[in-house]
Amino acid sequence: MTSSAVTTVTTEPRRGTGFLPRAEFQHLIDLLGEDGRTVIGPTVADGAIVYGEVRAVSDLPVGMGAEQSPGRYRLVDHHDERYFAYAVGPTSWKRFVFPPTLDLAESHRDEHGHVSFGPVHHEIPKLAFLGVRACELAALGIEDRVLLGGPYTDEDFRKRREHALIVAVQCAEPGGTCFCTSMGTGPGVRGGHDVLLVELADGFLVSSGSEEGAGIVARLGLSAATEDQLVEGSDQLVAARDRIGDPVATAGLHDRLLAKLDSPRWAEIADRCLACTNCTAVCPTCFCTSVSQRSDLDGRTAVTERRWDFCFTKGFSAVALGGNFRPRVQDRYRQWLTHKFATWIDQFGTSGCVGCGRCITWCPVGIDVREELNLIAPPPVLGTEAQVAAHAPRTSVFHVDAVRPETHDTVTLALSTPDGMDWSRLHGEFVMVSVPAIGSIPISISRRLPTGMELTVRAVGPASTFVTGLERGAEVGLSAPLGHGWPVEAAHDHDVVIVGGGMGFPPLRPIVDEILAHRASFGEVHIYHGARTPSDLLYKEELAAWASRGDLDVGVTVDRADTTWLGRVGVVTQLFDHARWDGSKAIAFVCGPERMIQATVSTLAARGITQDRIFISMERHMECGVGLCGHCQVGPFFVCKDGPVFSLAQLGDVFGREGI
Amino acid sequence: MPQTEGSTARTEHDAEFVALLNATWFGANLPPEAQVRLVGLARRYQAPAGTTLLTEGQLANEIGIVLSGRVSLRTLVPEQGWVTILTVEPGDIFGQSALVPPYRSTSTVVALQPVDVLALDGPGLRAALAADHDLAAVLYPRVLQALARRLNATRLQMLDLFAR
Amino acid sequence: MVRATSTPRPRLGVVKLASCDGCQLMLLNLEDALLSIAERIDIVEFPEATSHRSSGPYDVVLVEGAVSTPEQLETIHEVRREAKSLVTIGACATAGGIQAMRNWANHDAFRAAVYAHPEYVESLATAQPVSDYVKVDGELRGCPINGDQLLEFVAALLTGRRANLPDEAVCAACKRAGRVCVMVAQGIPCLGPVTMTGCGALCPGFDRGCYGCFGPREQANAASLGAQFVAMGQTPVEAGRLFAGFTGYAPPFRDVITELGGAPGIPAGHAPSPASTGTPSGGN
Repeated sequence: MTSSAVTTVTTEPRRGTGFLPRAEFQHLIDLLGEDGRTVIGPTVADGAIVYGEVRAVSDLPVGMGAEQSPGRYRLVDHHDERYFAYAVGPTSWKRFVFPPTLDLAESHRDEHGHVSFGPVHHEIPKLAFLGVRACELAALGIEDRVLLGGPYTDEDFRKRREHALIVAVQCAEPGGTCFCTSMGTGPGVRGGHDVLLVELADGFLVSSGSEEGAGIVARLGLSAATEDQLVEGSDQLVAARDRIGDPVATAGLHDRLLAKLDSPRWAEIADRCLACTNCTAVCPTCFCTSVSQRSDLDGRTAVTERRWDFCFTKGFSAVALGGNFRPRVQDRYRQWLTHKFATWIDQFGTSGCVGCGRCITWCPVGIDVREELNLIAPPPVLGTEAQVAAHAPRTSVFHVDAVRPETHDTVTLALSTPDGMDWSRLHGEFVMVSVPAIGSIPISISRRLPTGMELTVRAVGPASTFVTGLERGAEVGLSAPLGHGWPVEAAHDHDVVIVGGGMGFPPLRPIVDEILAHRASFGEVHIYHGARTPSDLLYKEELAAWASRGDLDVGVTVDRADTTWLGRVGVVTQLFDHARWDGSKAIAFVCGPERMIQATVSTLAARGITQDRIFISMERHMECGVGLCGHCQVGPFFVCKDGPVFSLAQLGDVFGREGI
Repeated sequence: MPQTEGSTARTEHDAEFVALLNATWFGANLPPEAQVRLVGLARRYQAPAGTTLLTEGQLANEIGIVLSGRVSLRTLVPEQGWVTILTVEPGDIFGQSALVPPYRSTSTVVALQPVDVLALDGPGLRAALAADHDLAAVLYPRVLQALARRLNATRLQMLDLFAR
Repeated sequence: MVRATSTPRPRLGVVKLASCDGCQLMLLNLEDALLSIAERIDIVEFPEATSHRSSGPYDVVLVEGAVSTPEQLETIHEVRREAKSLVTIGACATAGGIQAMRNWANHDAFRAAVYAHPEYVESLATAQPVSDYVKVDGELRGCPINGDQLLEFVAALLTGRRANLPDEAVCAACKRAGRVCVMVAQGIPCLGPVTMTGCGALCPGFDRGCYGCFGPREQANAASLGAQFVAMGQTPVEAGRLFAGFTGYAPPFRDVITELGGAPGIPAGHAPSPASTGTPSGGN
């Protein structure tokens, strides 16, 4: 939107609040619908007030309201003329700016194995949102922070946001589950709108909140509101505030909630909680998604579809081979509540809750977060403002230059891209490997090459099995490197201890490469690798070469072996629990299954390496790779974006906690 | 222990064994009296790779402290053959069944490399531990530490963490 | 370039046990895709489509129906031996189906009441899901199964990826579709929260509660939902009966039926536990 001297002059006389008689409301609807906009607003359907297309006053819930309590919603007829005398219903505006399902990309694989990836373009509709409440404006502000405020942004969301004109309506009829007052988001509108309406008995107070809104208000040609009308409006708002009260003690809630991760109440809630996802689905800020591919029967063409997903499902936190970090309903409820009210603040600077009460009303068994928060524990809330940054990562086509078998189920692929970019200089720990119609999986970089990288992949599911079956010349899609990698610079002038278990070893190999490239910058270097059996050991020749250099201490052990194996048998910690090196000068890098990391970390600690000098890489369910889909959340972190490498000091008591 | 004329050789021998003990985590920094008691029960031997040092089910007459080389603890699993459960590295012990009734080895111990072993006589050590509580008080914690370490390793191996 | 491009067409069989054939019909209903599927898959056994009978081995066999007779018990073991991958389709095969209602009743008394010559009717004391007898590699739920899920299953089979068959509740699909919750807004009991998705939340779209034909989802908290039905005004028996439909024999539903006393066909207050696998009926 551009501002010009001309628009400033025309809006000037209308800066105050005007009055729109009820009988002229259709005029406003018609104006909103100009410029090809569709007006979306409240309408009665299926026993509730939902958001749908509004063409005429008769589409609005004239005289209707709703009684709301935990697990219950009933329409009521007020037998009056009001259009907006209801508290928010099951629909939120999220649906219109962040659609429940969205095709993101299309990919192809032809009969020669050539792959291609392309975006799906969507026509973004021009919409006018009529009847947006203060809590809902706050929710849109929170979504702006989440989806537009980080290094990666959701461009589809941005366009839909920019294409929506917002007509707010001041709340006068709060519902029985509202608590915006506690969350500091309402009931009064405090910005974020284009036009603001206050519904009075005979009509509407009308004011503007943006230049575009001012233009519309100017065209309504309103007379100025009277003093009495203004008082009527503010009295309604005060009455609304009083009716809601302050049901949740939010001061210090963040800290109090996170101090109660071990509360017995979580298990009690799980006795009632259906894990049905309704609370998250109706929440106006929950943003988690999953992507999956639909393909044709030959797997030649696939469409990547994003859909709302919910932290209450099993699949949401599942990792390869049936593992799951949040197996119990109590783990999932705790994840939802602590994210919404505590770790969201750490991540985005605001609470994730606006107090709209939808999760309470629409919970089929009526679990009331107000009650639960007050029972479990009781945080500062801020206003919101959106930021703008870069794009989501693109998928580039890479060629397989070489395939080296490591074990019976694991191969190392050397990949390069013809795009000429020096990939070795790109930071990041892992890439998303995509195969049209098969799927997309996160794989750690196991070596950086001038024109690409090496990936060591183990066949555990259909997608990884496909990738391990690729031959020289094959093509796959790769995202740019993602996540925070190992802080190898921090180890300069220190001794280095590298411990890799199983498939946790490949992500550590670039550290060894880096050390060898600047050997003099590091002190003693100890490399320990544990595997299941001798035939599962990775990089056998490299390990032997490293060991024979004389300036690297290399230890290898396996969990079990037959008699032909003359090396060590035992767990990886036994390689160094009686070693002679001095931990006080060392930095450790550890990767492997979480339980192995735990054992390793305690052995390292016993050898004098402090928590701030132990770095680990965490495994979680990763999909988008850029902190937008929500799957990989651990406490206040997204593993994909904030990690996967963390220092133990950074993770604090999040590390090793059950069900997190 | 009374000092007698002509025990120089014995004393030199003891000093050498004490030095060997001190080079292992198991035997290092024990009180001098305890080290002297142990040395009195010790013999040293070397064995080439492939030598079976103990057989599962047989009486374990000695506790071995590995001075150098690698020793494997094996068990025979029908249909799988011999499976190596653990390797014992320099500084650590094997044959501690010699201290626990029925004093029979719970695995077969085979040298994977040429090994150098300091072996403590089982019955002698049992008698010494029963009679000398000071010795028992310093030695048993070492034995427990070795066992606990092995138990913990076994648990982690049992979890088969790298299968996933 | 890429390995395994010219594998032979997978051999697929469809096998029917105690069932209504409705699930097989869903396969025939995939009209647009049916020809393409037939080109890519060698359908060697399909009773609803052809009278020509063949036998294994199969790469994949789809099994419709519950195991209800001694003959079906033999068949399912035989099919299992012949099939690389055995996939059960529909509520009968995956959960026992409507015929599993007899598992709560006295089988002999039932048979005598229904048939003029019960001695000619040879049936097992219970009707059970296929997985009670043999290992099952995958399942498509529903009464009948959903055409889109079937197509997705076939596409995944042909491309070698994992079929995208979510394990979430019906509610997730219902909310994505923008439907209003019939339970919260109208007080209609709905099994959606504890039922596996896959139907596209069909019933709530017609102002009806879900009756659970896709069966319990993982961690289905049927006890809590049953308690809520009671809190909404149902008697415990009525609440229990709401679970006693096409998938009532599936454990979480079965347990809440038994607990609330809503066993099918049994007068209120006489709720026995269902007969378990292999025990002869008529013990009471």
